[in-house]
Amino acid sequence: MPAVTEEARLPDLSVRGAASDARAAPRDQATGSESDDTFPKVLLRRAKGHASDPAVREKEFGIWQSYSWSEVAEEAELLACGLASLGLERGDRVALLGANRPQFYWATYAIQSVGAIPVPIYQDSIAEEAVHILDHSGASFVLAEDQEQIDKVLSVRDHLPRLSGLIFKDPRGLRSYAEPGLRSMEEVRALGIAKRAADPSFFARAVAEGSGGDVAIICYTSGTTGKPKGVVLTFDNLIATASTMAAFEGLTGSDSVLAYLPMAWIGDHFFSYAQSALVGFPVNCPESGATLMTDLREVGPTYFFAPPRIFESILTDVTIRMENAGWIKRRLFAFFMAVARSTGVRLLEGRPVSAGQRLLYGIGRLVVYAPLLNTLGLRRLRVAYTAGEALGPEIFDFYRSLGVNLKQVYGQTESSVYVCVHANDDVRSDTVGRPAPGVEVRFSEQGELLYRSPGVFKEYYRTEDATGDAKDEGGWVRSGDAGIVTDDGHIKIIDRAKDVGRLLSGSLFAPKYIENKLKFFPSIKEAVAFGDGRQNVCAFINIELEAVGNWAERRGISFTSYADLAGRMEVYDLVSGQIEEANRSLARELQLAGAQIHRFLILPKELDADDGELTRTRKVRRRVIAERYGALIEAMYGDDDSVDFETRATFEDGRVGIVRAHVPIRQARTFAPEPVR
Amino acid sequence: MPTPFFVLEVALSGLLAGLLYSLVALGFVLIYKASGVFNFAQGALVLLAALVFVRATEIFDAMGPATVGFWAALLATMAVMVLVAAAIERFLLRPLVNQPPITLFMATIGLTFLIEGISQMIWGSRVYTLDLGIPDEPWIIHGLYIGKIDLFAAAVAIAMVIALAVFFQFTRIGRALRAVSDDHQAALSIGIPLNFIWVVVWSLAGMAALFAGLVWGAKLGVQFSISVVALKALPVLILGGFTSIPGVIVGGILIGVSEKLAEVFVGPVVGGAIESWFAYVLALAVLLVRPQGLFGEKIIERV
Amino acid sequence: MTPASAAAHAAPATGTILKLDDVSLSFGGIKAVQGVTFDIRPSEIRAIIGPNGAGKSSVLNIINGFYRPQRGTITFKGRARSYMSPYEAARGGVARTFQNIALFKGMTTLDNILSGRLLKVRSSVFEQALQVGRAVREELDQRQHVERILDFLEIEHIRKTPVGQLPYGLQKRVELGRALAMEPDLLLLDEPMAGMNLEEKEDMCRFILDVREEFGAAIALIEHDIGVVMDLSDRIAVLEYGRLIADGAPEQVRNDPAVIAAYLGAKR
Repeated sequence: MPAVTEEARLPDLSVRGAASDARAAPRDQATGSESDDTFPKVLLRRAKGHASDPAVREKEFGIWQSYSWSEVAEEAELLACGLASLGLERGDRVALLGANRPQFYWATYAIQSVGAIPVPIYQDSIAEEAVHILDHSGASFVLAEDQEQIDKVLSVRDHLPRLSGLIFKDPRGLRSYAEPGLRSMEEVRALGIAKRAADPSFFARAVAEGSGGDVAIICYTSGTTGKPKGVVLTFDNLIATASTMAAFEGLTGSDSVLAYLPMAWIGDHFFSYAQSALVGFPVNCPESGATLMTDLREVGPTYFFAPPRIFESILTDVTIRMENAGWIKRRLFAFFMAVARSTGVRLLEGRPVSAGQRLLYGIGRLVVYAPLLNTLGLRRLRVAYTAGEALGPEIFDFYRSLGVNLKQVYGQTESSVYVCVHANDDVRSDTVGRPAPGVEVRFSEQGELLYRSPGVFKEYYRTEDATGDAKDEGGWVRSGDAGIVTDDGHIKIIDRAKDVGRLLSGSLFAPKYIENKLKFFPSIKEAVAFGDGRQNVCAFINIELEAVGNWAERRGISFTSYADLAGRMEVYDLVSGQIEEANRSLARELQLAGAQIHRFLILPKELDADDGELTRTRKVRRRVIAERYGALIEAMYGDDDSVDFETRATFEDGRVGIVRAHVPIRQARTFAPEPVR
Repeated sequence: MPTPFFVLEVALSGLLAGLLYSLVALGFVLIYKASGVFNFAQGALVLLAALVFVRATEIFDAMGPATVGFWAALLATMAVMVLVAAAIERFLLRPLVNQPPITLFMATIGLTFLIEGISQMIWGSRVYTLDLGIPDEPWIIHGLYIGKIDLFAAAVAIAMVIALAVFFQFTRIGRALRAVSDDHQAALSIGIPLNFIWVVVWSLAGMAALFAGLVWGAKLGVQFSISVVALKALPVLILGGFTSIPGVIVGGILIGVSEKLAEVFVGPVVGGAIESWFAYVLALAVLLVRPQGLFGEKIIERV
Repeated sequence: MTPASAAAHAAPATGTILKLDDVSLSFGGIKAVQGVTFDIRPSEIRAIIGPNGAGKSSVLNIINGFYRPQRGTITFKGRARSYMSPYEAARGGVARTFQNIALFKGMTTLDNILSGRLLKVRSSVFEQALQVGRAVREELDQRQHVERILDFLEIEHIRKTPVGQLPYGLQKRVELGRALAMEPDLLLLDEPMAGMNLEEKEDMCRFILDVREEFGAAIALIEHDIGVVMDLSDRIAVLEYGRLIADGAPEQVRNDPAVIAAYLGAKR
């Protein structure tokens, strides 16, 4: 199987035809003239036409500070001039390493203004991960948030001969550093002031030189295998997709977003930068990662993207809070949630609802839904997206029944985010919707989803053969995902194309599909299914410590650690029941009924990105797991009902140690295939 | 069967009496808040304040016109209470710094005997009358009888509570008091002069004692039983919470009203004299359900 | 970047901010501190190490005014005295944290840190009570100051949380925040990293270095993690049985035979 990029499934939308057709894409009314083919140009127009509208807000020292479009343009100009006077030239790459701060969005404009290319890097990557991207992209400058990030780069600077400048935003702890080329953003800005004084038209000239075919950004994708690859996207790619989707969702300048997902992820660049610029809505930067939920409540965004785990954790939070609430509150909540379940989704989708139900829902909105959404910060939401791993149908319906317009998107970095998306009146929790406007989708004989759109990336940076593998001359891109089309034209992604295998019986085995079914249970955090080329399917389970711990406490089951809890027979009973439920639902899907789970075990250790078992985006690394836990897998396919095992683990405090455990193995009940309806 | 009107009247008199309890309880709360100590000597302070005031009135009355005498006596008594507070700080609290609360509690018991003993030496054990110049006859509003002295007591209690609440919430000393009550060492380390704070707190408790002493003294005469009556504050504290100033008001009113009503409704059934024990039973019931009181801070600590 | 290289960058200023001269302290028959003489320079990180019961905390408590030494002089900011009361110490710019965390448990993080600014209040009791005049402006300034500290210590998310509910590592940070709110010239840290995990220790090291850099305060710290002490400090004083047995730069102390025998030897 050729290397196809692995990336969170993002919404990907493209317009019919290749990148060159991008300009034919519908533009949002606010976007304006044809010549706005780069983001710096869009910014300059905004700074003229909507000078005092808020462009970005940031919570600092406990207060929300707001910056207008003209202020952003001013800052971008000064930074651009400063960077230019430090020697930044057209086509140079500049790495960005930090959290979502306004300064980094300004810097993105600044870098693009002078024709250089921003390369955002995940701020939590370890030095070795960062060095690959810095080295591969050949970045000549790094813009880092603080001492932590600067230290990270300095620790590998010897390997980065092309790196000439390190610029930091927060001077704390850095004042006494004497590294060559190290300076603060303030200093760069001061250089910019001098440069502008000497050459007042520099910025305008530089911006005018840019055009839509230029490279806008290089996003390195995390990848479950191999080194990350740099996806090169042009302004045409992003502008076409961003404006088409803005029109599709009816975004306007009065919308707002919370910028909290990593800047290195294309989604943040798309929602918080590209669409913000094109449509003109403000971007809100949270105070810190830890204050996210408070900030969400204060901002009350109307347009929101979150990976499933965020929606899950919000729901878990609500559930726990309700369990601890007084009985009146609990009863009220239970009653109106039942009303919401029966009525909410129908109302949201404009389907007929009886007057009585409507009235009840109205009361529910008054006493439960609205206050609840308000505390969660979701009250103003008009469009909420989720993507990546699948979201459980109950969770999906929970939000929709409360009136939150939650939708799935499917896409990749390579597609400028969108491939498929739910339309407002056509949402099903088990699909990713239909191809987004402008995107063509077809399937290969192996079931792999292929797409073509104006958002399709230009190339993988300095990796031509990979580009050739992923994209053919006709502009069709291999998504790497296996999918099927449902009767009503929705697309359902079942797994990674390369992970889909067959049991000895010839039955289709889609591990992720099975795992996702398991992960819908709140007590199951991770699952890894095995079965390709085997007699039947077996699975590893990771329990969700918080949920199961809570459950155990309520039952008076005491435990000392994760491993202890994981080995409890009571927990096995709990999980066993859930696996049977998953099997029952698998039995209803003809193609997959043969792949029910026969035996399982609960891992004595949580799968951890620090141990290389998960990617940074929390996807399982099958190969690593198969290697490390080989003995456990074989035991599951053996006859014993338990196995002794030890493995290396990284503890919370960073120490590395050995986990030893006696792991029970359980048989699960399976069901005869039972066709739907 | 009592008429609704009668019930209202009983409730009202209970309310006013309850505020009087609040006034006494306030002294306890202040000291408890600032030092975590239950000040057993608060009753003795009430007695002392009343006696000093009586003596001061005699002295000043002999010197000039009555109205001037009243105010002069009030100021003089306040000054004495501050001096007493300073003495308590110097000779009792300072040597016992960093000792467990139980030690300090024992010390306040000792203090009670000391104050009562000295008072007896100076004043003997006779009953003094205390005249605040408030006429004894009640106001009658729409047929409701309201004792003027009760009204005066209520006004004083409410005014003191408001003043103290503002003081605690907004002023530096008030904030320092909260800090001191939480952790002595930490309070010292941020530059809070502990000794001064204690003098302030005990002085404030002394003021509360003074007002309580004035009102009780005017109603019942100044006698040694006052210091026992002060124990009525205990159920008020349990009800309102040892650390809450607003709780003291609510607790006082609840106790006052409920014991008066109980006297009327339940009294005949059990043979009367319910007022002497009803408050304690009520407090016990509250302790069982809500040990921190209605307004007390829940003790939350991570283990 | 290791803490050591950062420490090497910031050369401490010369002169002394505090000097203990032949200071002795005993409780009953126990001699906690015996004739200790040592000084602290402005903006330096000064570690005090030694086995348990060597008198380290007693030295901090003398500096901070909790203990009154029986002998010796304390010279703080040029003024010699035999005893400095806690109030004087706090007024003069000595702030501290405690080995066992002494926070106002019922208050929020914000109020705890705000309490460190009690001495900075200038308005009168009446202005404060009525919230008029200087008091209003002051209130805002104080809050702003505290917000900067919250940001500095990265504890914005627990702003409104009662500190009693916080995990240990965060409580230590709040305690440091309260000390910083006093704008100290001399910061005494009694085992700032005790009971912390590796990550929390690293954070605390960074904060200590940053405190010196951003606030310019001299820091005297007691710490058992010798690795941390060697990396962090400019000078180290070693106590044993209440006596000073060595004093000097980390290198010097590390190689001192008396220290190896008494302290490091005792550990083995």
